[in-house]
Amino acid sequence: MLDQVLGMLAEGGVHTPAELANRLDVSERLVEHMLADLSRMGYLRSVSSATCQALPPDDAGPCADCPLSRACAVCEPGGQVWALTQKAFR
Amino acid sequence: MSEISSLRGGAMSVGAGHSAAPRHNPTHSSSQRETALSEERVITVALAGQPNVGKSTVFNMLTGLNQHVGNWPGKTIEQKTGTYRYNDTTIQLVDLPGTYSLTANSPEEQVARDFIIKEQPDIVVAIVNAATLERSLYLLAELVWLPVPIVLGLNMVDVAEREGYRVEPHVLEAALGLPVVPIIATRNQGIRELVQAVDILVRDPLRYAPRRPEIREDHQAVLDEIESLITGYVPSPYPSDWVALKLLEGDIEITRMIREQLPPDHWERVHNILKQHEDAILAVAGGRYEWIGRMMRAAVEQPRVGQVTLTDRLDRVATHPFLGLLVLVGILALVFWLTYTIASPLQGWLDIYVVQGGAELVRGALAGAPPWLVGLLADGVITGAGTVLTFLPILIIFFAILGLLEDVGYMARAAYVMDRFMHAMGLHGKSFLPLFLGFGCNVPAVAGARIIDSPRARLLTIQLAPLVPCTARMAVVALLTPAFFGRGAALVAWGLVLLNLIILAVVGTVVNRLVFKGTHGAFIMELPLYHIPNGRTIGMFVWGNTTAFLRKAGSIILVVSVIVWALSVFPGPGLENSVIGYLGLLLAPIGQLMGLDWQPMVALVTSFAAKENAIATLGVLYGGGEEATGLGATMAASIPPAAALAFLAVTMLFIPCAATLATIRQETGGWRWVVFNVGLLLVISFGVGILIYQGAALIGWGV
Repeated sequence: MLDQVLGMLAEGGVHTPAELANRLDVSERLVEHMLADLSRMGYLRSVSSATCQALPPDDAGPCADCPLSRACAVCEPGGQVWALTQKAFR
Repeated sequence: MSEISSLRGGAMSVGAGHSAAPRHNPTHSSSQRETALSEERVITVALAGQPNVGKSTVFNMLTGLNQHVGNWPGKTIEQKTGTYRYNDTTIQLVDLPGTYSLTANSPEEQVARDFIIKEQPDIVVAIVNAATLERSLYLLAELVWLPVPIVLGLNMVDVAEREGYRVEPHVLEAALGLPVVPIIATRNQGIRELVQAVDILVRDPLRYAPRRPEIREDHQAVLDEIESLITGYVPSPYPSDWVALKLLEGDIEITRMIREQLPPDHWERVHNILKQHEDAILAVAGGRYEWIGRMMRAAVEQPRVGQVTLTDRLDRVATHPFLGLLVLVGILALVFWLTYTIASPLQGWLDIYVVQGGAELVRGALAGAPPWLVGLLADGVITGAGTVLTFLPILIIFFAILGLLEDVGYMARAAYVMDRFMHAMGLHGKSFLPLFLGFGCNVPAVAGARIIDSPRARLLTIQLAPLVPCTARMAVVALLTPAFFGRGAALVAWGLVLLNLIILAVVGTVVNRLVFKGTHGAFIMELPLYHIPNGRTIGMFVWGNTTAFLRKAGSIILVVSVIVWALSVFPGPGLENSVIGYLGLLLAPIGQLMGLDWQPMVALVTSFAAKENAIATLGVLYGGGEEATGLGATMAASIPPAAALAFLAVTMLFIPCAATLATIRQETGGWRWVVFNVGLLLVISFGVGILIYQGAALIGWGV
């Protein structure tokens, strides 16, 4: 099943756990569990933290001047964005 | 679900003086123990489970005061043991550390699996949380491979039911092939049945026939081969099939153990197989997830009502590749329509009565003062920075609607749908995240491109980032469109945003073909649940952003307003002999191609410091009229619709602000790419502006 998840991700584009769960006929929570596991195995990496950490340092925070910072789906602490690693492509 | 009964207090044993410690003699098998203690049986039961599933509650409920707390040998991990008396049986309970799996990633996992394998308790009671069964079953998927019978304690069935999950214990029992007992540990319900199930299984171990998760079919032959190579060399009491599985999983401890046990030629062969199947962990863990999926489908009814389903239902439309895009476009149109309908009349009123009126008041009050001072205050400060402030109602409404969309949970969907749109246009992959950040501000969009590994792809994403309409540009368009287009403003503003996205997608498609060479980047975004918006949260969002805008108006915009005024007066006399006048003359030929006078062209130049300066500049350059008719009316009278449309399009596509260019310099390590970006955007923005005006002229509209 994990290779099916990786296969779907290799199609490219943005996916949601709900969409993957629907395609695999399992619950969304199981997909989230699998994503966390794939991340531990090194096939996925959390890019939201990497992206937001890449922003220039600022006393008031890197996104202080951005009016959408609180609405940001990328740097929002509750959300997670995952990307495939080179290991997954191999 | 079967009724769960409570464990009566009388069933709790005393057992004082019994050693609560488990036996640590692996050679002392269960049957020997039973023979030796035919009158009073002593059995060992290990309690296993993930953290926070109620394992300790079950342990405390059974042992009461008869427990002993110490440390696991050689570890700093707490070891809890205790006794419980059931009929003629003394149960020695061992509370294993809470673990998510048995992969020996942590000392807790190591302790748990070592105890089960080496000490071989008579029964393992696996406690799972019925409300998060998917997660809990993963540990069980590993436990069923170990040579100890398991009884499953299905805890928190009440919580699961409250959350809309209906677990069928009998179906789960049949699917798993092992006893399943529903319990509510905190209410002492079902604990007696759990002990009963343990007792029955100890007396009749042949009843135990678990259905184990299988390795993915294409790896079965590999697993068999490894098992055949290691059989006979696996030290007791490790089961060969489990060891073979762990080798394929890449378990460091088991690999080390087998390497020491195997003859060198055997190890060489095993090692070669493992090297060839480095990704076998996917086959092993994937098999477990398939097994969990089967169990869940068989025994668990997912929630049918409530928030989750509402989110699912809404997302069927909001995240649909086509419908989702329509919803996004519709919401965008609604944002502008609401903004203009509610706030534009207020802005017009403020412009006429506060700005123009204020300027007149200053002129009157300072009648005897030097003309330069009157000009500075009335034309520079009030009609410059003051004009920007009249747009505050528009911004408050704009931010209130954005805040509402954020608080409801829509913004993440907008990002998701946007990528689908870009995907359809051929632009996708790793540039998505940085570009998405650009909707807030182009600075983080440029800086965020660092996540792209390829330097070439990173560079081109940086070049594209300023094409994303940031909120400052959106605000300028939100402010200026009603001045030119009145009732049609919402449609025009909406079209301008769309135009930016289409140009971004077209440029992106070219970039994708040339640079990314069609490689597919993939992302998974966790979308939050929709929820009822909170007035206070939205209020804080509006307050934070409005005060930030006011700070900007009181600093950079005020300074630029004064500079623009000064440059429009000196050396003089008259505007045509001022520095701004000369700059206007320089820019006039390009402006003429778009039907624009020099004033809007100068506004574009000043927007370089901050996008909002365009408004302040227009305020200074158009606001000094004799009659207090308001900036909007003056501009509408001076700029024909086709030229206004061209000006707004150029504003949206123009070179980014100074902060973004500084970030481009920082990220690319030189001025070369800054100059390139300025050149690229000048060509694109003026090109589009000229096309719009000349196209309109061709069909005879608004010139």
